[in-house]
Amino acid sequence: MNSYFLPLIVALPFLGALLPPLFVRRGRTACAWSAALVTAAALALLLSVAAPVFDGDSLLFHYDWLPAYGFSLTFWLDGLGLLFALLILGIGLLVILYARYYLSEQDPMGRLYAFLLLFMGSMLGVVLSENLLLMMVFWELTSLSSFLLIGYWKHRADARQGARLALTVTGAGGLSLFAGIMLLGHIGGSYELSVLLASGDQIQAHPLYPATLVLILLGVFTKSAQFPFHFWLPHAMAAPTPVSAYLHSATMVKAGVFLLARLYPAMAGSELWFYLVGTTGMVTLLLGAYFALFKHDLKGLLAYSTISHLGLITLLFGLGTPLGAVAGVFHIINHATFKASLFMAAGIIDHESGTRDMRKLNGLWHYMPHTATLAMVAAASMAGVPLFNGFLSKEMFFAETLHQGWLGEWNWILPFGATLAGVFAVAYSIRFIHDVFFNGEPIDLPRTPHEPPRYMKVPVEILVALCLLVGIVPAWTVAPLLATAAASSVGAELPPYNLAIWHGLNTPVLMSVLAMVGGGVMYAMRHHLFALHARFFRPFDAKLLFERQLERVIAAARWLTMMLENGSLQRYMMLLLLSAVAMVAAGLWGRPLGGPLAPGEVDGVTLVGALALALSAVTTTIWHRRRLVALIQLSVVGLVVSVAFVRFAAPDLALTQLSVEMVTIILLMLVLYFLPQQTPAESSGLRKGRDILIAGAAGTSVALLAWGVLTRPYETIGDYFMEQSIPGGGGANVVNVILVDFRGFDTLGEITVLAIAAIGIVTMLRGLRLPTPDTDADGRPWASDRYPMILAVISRPLLPLALLVAVFLLLRGHNLPGGGFIAGLVTAIALILQYVASGTAWTRERININYVRLTAAGVVLAALTGLGSWGFGYPFLTSSFGHFHLPLVGDFELATAMLFDLGVYMAVVGSTLLVLANLGKLTLTKREATEGE
Amino acid sequence: MALLVAIIIGIMVACGVYLLLRARTFPVVMGLIMLSYAVNLFIFAMGRLHAEVPAVAGLAGDTSDPVPQALVLTAIVIGFAMTAFAVTLALRASSELDSDHVDGDGGRQP
Amino acid sequence: MSHWIILPIVLPLLAGLLLLLAPADALKLKRLLSLTSALLLLPLAAGLLMQTTDGSIGVYALGNWTAPFGIVLVLDRLAAMMLLLTAVLALPALWYTARGEDQRGRHFHALFQFQLMGLNGAFLTGDLFNLFVFFEVLLIASYALLLHGGGVERCRAGLHYVLLNLAGSSLFLIAVGVLYGVTGTLNMADLAQRVAAAGSSEAGLLHAAALLLLLVFALKAALLPLYFWLPSAYSAAVAPVAALFAIMTKVGVYAILRVYTLIFGSGAGELANLAGDWLWPAALATLAMGAVGALAARHLRQLVSYLMLVSVGTLLAGVALNSASALSAVLYYQFHTTLVSGGLFLLAGIIRRHRGEAGDRFTAAPAMLQRTPLGVLFFIGAVGAAGLPPLSGFLGKFVLLSSVYPGLQQAWLWSVVLGGSVVAVLALSRAGSRLFWRTAEGTVAAAPVDRGQLAAVALLVVVGPVLMVVFAAPVFDFVDATAGQLLLPSGYIDTVLGGAGVVPAGGAQ
Repeated sequence: MNSYFLPLIVALPFLGALLPPLFVRRGRTACAWSAALVTAAALALLLSVAAPVFDGDSLLFHYDWLPAYGFSLTFWLDGLGLLFALLILGIGLLVILYARYYLSEQDPMGRLYAFLLLFMGSMLGVVLSENLLLMMVFWELTSLSSFLLIGYWKHRADARQGARLALTVTGAGGLSLFAGIMLLGHIGGSYELSVLLASGDQIQAHPLYPATLVLILLGVFTKSAQFPFHFWLPHAMAAPTPVSAYLHSATMVKAGVFLLARLYPAMAGSELWFYLVGTTGMVTLLLGAYFALFKHDLKGLLAYSTISHLGLITLLFGLGTPLGAVAGVFHIINHATFKASLFMAAGIIDHESGTRDMRKLNGLWHYMPHTATLAMVAAASMAGVPLFNGFLSKEMFFAETLHQGWLGEWNWILPFGATLAGVFAVAYSIRFIHDVFFNGEPIDLPRTPHEPPRYMKVPVEILVALCLLVGIVPAWTVAPLLATAAASSVGAELPPYNLAIWHGLNTPVLMSVLAMVGGGVMYAMRHHLFALHARFFRPFDAKLLFERQLERVIAAARWLTMMLENGSLQRYMMLLLLSAVAMVAAGLWGRPLGGPLAPGEVDGVTLVGALALALSAVTTTIWHRRRLVALIQLSVVGLVVSVAFVRFAAPDLALTQLSVEMVTIILLMLVLYFLPQQTPAESSGLRKGRDILIAGAAGTSVALLAWGVLTRPYETIGDYFMEQSIPGGGGANVVNVILVDFRGFDTLGEITVLAIAAIGIVTMLRGLRLPTPDTDADGRPWASDRYPMILAVISRPLLPLALLVAVFLLLRGHNLPGGGFIAGLVTAIALILQYVASGTAWTRERININYVRLTAAGVVLAALTGLGSWGFGYPFLTSSFGHFHLPLVGDFELATAMLFDLGVYMAVVGSTLLVLANLGKLTLTKREATEGE
Repeated sequence: MALLVAIIIGIMVACGVYLLLRARTFPVVMGLIMLSYAVNLFIFAMGRLHAEVPAVAGLAGDTSDPVPQALVLTAIVIGFAMTAFAVTLALRASSELDSDHVDGDGGRQP
Repeated sequence: MSHWIILPIVLPLLAGLLLLLAPADALKLKRLLSLTSALLLLPLAAGLLMQTTDGSIGVYALGNWTAPFGIVLVLDRLAAMMLLLTAVLALPALWYTARGEDQRGRHFHALFQFQLMGLNGAFLTGDLFNLFVFFEVLLIASYALLLHGGGVERCRAGLHYVLLNLAGSSLFLIAVGVLYGVTGTLNMADLAQRVAAAGSSEAGLLHAAALLLLLVFALKAALLPLYFWLPSAYSAAVAPVAALFAIMTKVGVYAILRVYTLIFGSGAGELANLAGDWLWPAALATLAMGAVGALAARHLRQLVSYLMLVSVGTLLAGVALNSASALSAVLYYQFHTTLVSGGLFLLAGIIRRHRGEAGDRFTAAPAMLQRTPLGVLFFIGAVGAAGLPPLSGFLGKFVLLSSVYPGLQQAWLWSVVLGGSVVAVLALSRAGSRLFWRTAEGTVAAAPVDRGQLAAVALLVVVGPVLMVVFAAPVFDFVDATAGQLLLPSGYIDTVLGGAGVVPAGGAQ
């Protein structure tokens, strides 16, 4: 058997969706044809494989996709699938033909057909999937594509809102269904229907069965517009009528009841099932029927009657009896046919008369007798009049309501409710016919109605013919399809049933008669009823309610977001720091803090230094509002820190700290020149208290960590470096060897950071114009003489000296304290001094370097040194060194690490000067002005 | 000794954090600098504090763990780069938002 | 020894430096250089990924100093994945920029390359302090990139972003310091061993350091209560920068994955799997708040930023679960969500230029010129962002959700994640209807949409996710194996520390 047809059938519409937008340039007919041919092709494929299904066996296509997660691309065609596929493709074809004449010139036809085909493909996927996850994919696709279809007339607000309402409700339901399916898969141990349908008892015995059932039913009820989720459907009527005819007769809303039929063997039969599904169905049936009667809009009436009929079908499956399922499947077929034709008829009326309001539409019989006849047949079928297909399934329905025994002495409720719904159905069917086609003359219609184009009626005629054929000779027409579909739904041998029109005089017949008569009476006294209805139900619009609620939710969401993200850095910073404190606390909680090591006693010098450090730190904080003073205090902190490094025998750190210190302070001085000299006192006492607490907590936690570590022994990789420094790294100064060799990669990253920072800073400073104050905070005028002579005189000889020192530091760095970084900073400071003393112009004349390039070149040099080692077959940054002999000079040592260090040196000089020189330039704008005097 | 160092670092961190929580850019930047001083000391202390002579191979005496020193050197440089960037950004912000408040005008822009 | 492993770091570094050396006005040359480097990174990353498919782990000892003494780069499956993701995201973003966006400020391309270097380095390094260094590289680059284009909003957002992250860096250093102070090592594999061997007297300090580190990573990953900087920062950045930033949060996720499976994973004795208890509630809360923000969003960039928070929440919830299937779901979904949110940021950039005054705000504006292509891209992107079928987001979510067994945990995860999707659908449909359906009178004078930029968006929003679905089977094989590798760190540790003794280089007479 050619089972690969199945994925092909599903794929065709998806691929075909590309055609209409292309063909629309060749005219509307060509466009319609392209869509129709795709559908026809899929239909042909389907029929070519349909035959065996009638003999009770099914067609299976299986492809393992994600076996580990139970996700397989499995399609199967059994009776139920075949029935639905036929409805989807058959009615789809008719809708395409109908839409060709329905759409007006300015409507983009290509788009409609494209969306329609997308939707068709999704529906086919739903009904042909054998793997529930795969089914889930297509299920959500139906929601998405129906969203596009309903919102087709995007310029209309009701269309947009209706589309979003439908998407939200069905989409949310879909996700709940998704959860249900995952639970089902967990219970049944597979997502394959073949497995699940066979293990119904095991599933229903499982403790998770109720949860699973509820989640799945939420998906079903939202899709099939069951109470209380029915409200989206009427608003989906904002779609073009062909779309409504398709979505609400054969497809979209039927997906829900399809799932009921599909999962019937696995889920149905339990008491819970009956109460949930049955009750929902009954309520929806009555509710829909009631409201349908009171809608003045043609499509509104049809919408609610659709809801009602879906309720009927749901109720039938809810009964949980095989015959109920048969009736359900049968009514699915019948409803599809008559409802599609009714929608099309309504569309024709709307199209030709310009309105759908039944209070205006009267007596159209004279204008469009042909359409009227068709509509009457369909409406009769909807009302369940004998000789029309609706009658047969309704009789079965009535019969089934009599044969269930869940409710004990309340059993009578079901037949009663069924009959009552029947009464309403008859009433609104009569209204559909009588109000529109008779009942006097039309009242100021936008245009004078007439029969539609010939081909617009063809689809209706075909459907109506079906209604009649099925209604009159069911055994020769629908019987085999119904049998196989129902059988595969129930998943067992069907009990005998008889599709005859006349079963003799029995209760169901009486119920029908009751419904007919009651319906007639009810229609006759409709005006009183309308008045009564108007008294009790003031018209309310679910869509508006939804929009209003949504607006409320959004307002709440905005408020909440505002509350959290109030845009205050202080709060974010506080949260960060508090969390940090909390983390440390949580980590240290209830665990030994102090270690075995003796803390070691303090000598006087250290104590004094420590006190100085603490004092300067605290004063910096206390005086922070007087910025210059605070800055000076801060620099003292830095100085003492570097002294501390000396105290603990870390000369490299001391030197680096010192030089960085100087540059940083120069930088801050420059910046402070443009910023307010004072910080306004704006923190409330409370705020200060809070911050002091946080600060205290943070300080304590860090102190605790330090104390904890310092009192513990540890074995470090450091010793290894001490040993390897000379043999491996060719340098005695271990710290420097680590920097340029053992962990040279860090240093490479570090100078990259420096370079990037410099680049970023220059970019920021570009085009920055700042007001330059004439006086400092206390009103003292800034010195007006451009460059202090003494400084200039002293600084110029300093430069070569400084460079000499730099070179010295650079060269010895590998063996003694020093190194590229410190050397770089020394050079930079010396050069900056030139800028300060003699001005940019003077300095530029003599030292004309592009600092960006210098920086980049430095990093390049460092990187290339690293790459160089590839040449010797060693990894990146492998250093090599050796002793070389030059005449006169004698033996001396060179290490590639020195080259690396040279790169560092260049990068540091470049970036530092790049920053400082550019910042300094900002002040020039003012200085140049005074220069002329 | 350990206690003293721990306390000092704690004090510096506290001061830094307090400054970090101020409402104007300049104090915040000063807070960052203070914090980085403290952190540098902290990392350095992680190599313990029993050193008599610098970590230079061949010198006699008790040398301290060289690794944290190298880390601190890297940290100092990176810290310097970051500080420079931050303070320049503060400058830029004060001219763009004509206020040196950390939130510009202090209000939220929707 | 093959040098391939270090190329993802050295290549963008050199490219960036060359871009600095190039004459300032040679825009064409710069674009060429930059794009070439990004283009080369793609096959490079792919090739490296191929090297890891047999489960082998590549180790590159820089300076020929093997672990634990020297810094090593480690190429395992996770690292390779992240490299590939970065490359895949970077190229379209850069291409988009090269169509004009790069003229809005100087040195864009250099900074972009440095950012890539930082990202790749962070993913490759096997040394904790070196990780800090690369964090700083990518941060400083991101600071500068965020300010690209100038303006008040960028300045304000940038200031917050920079100052917060600077504070974060200090915390990082403190944590690393404590770890070194207790264990005396920096190499992550070595750390793992020493933490496992540590006595309970050390447990307190190690625990504190671990949590502090977690906090730092959470700040990068934008986890409640530390994400407040993100929406304003990401909506302020120019489109391509925001798109590249889509991976910045994932750096945080990566770091959490790495450190808390390797060092503080199942082998850490007293401290085993300590991250989960903290991540779980924070992740779910982040997801929820992200959804709330998505509802509140006033323009597309904001919406995408909040959806990114939703995805971060989803990812870290999976990380907290710390089971094989949850982790593979995380890895798969991370790839998907990064590409999609990146693409949507680019799309927002285009839309913004074509709706005149309204920009990408959800207010009525004249219809855009090429509404259809933009609309199609938005629709597909929205489907991807909401994690709906048939795109890869759905698969990721499915695997994640089905990885928990029935119980309270499942109830929480399912309700929050699925609820988040519903809200996402609601917000996105609203946004789409406002941007594409509800149009005001009049027309906007704007240049026609650049096809190159459209292509960049399509690449990220359509091609990527679709390929991930089509090749879901092999991709899942890979991520499953990756998750296995993460949960069994002994392989990593042995490979890194099992290296031969140091070969003393030099003596080159």
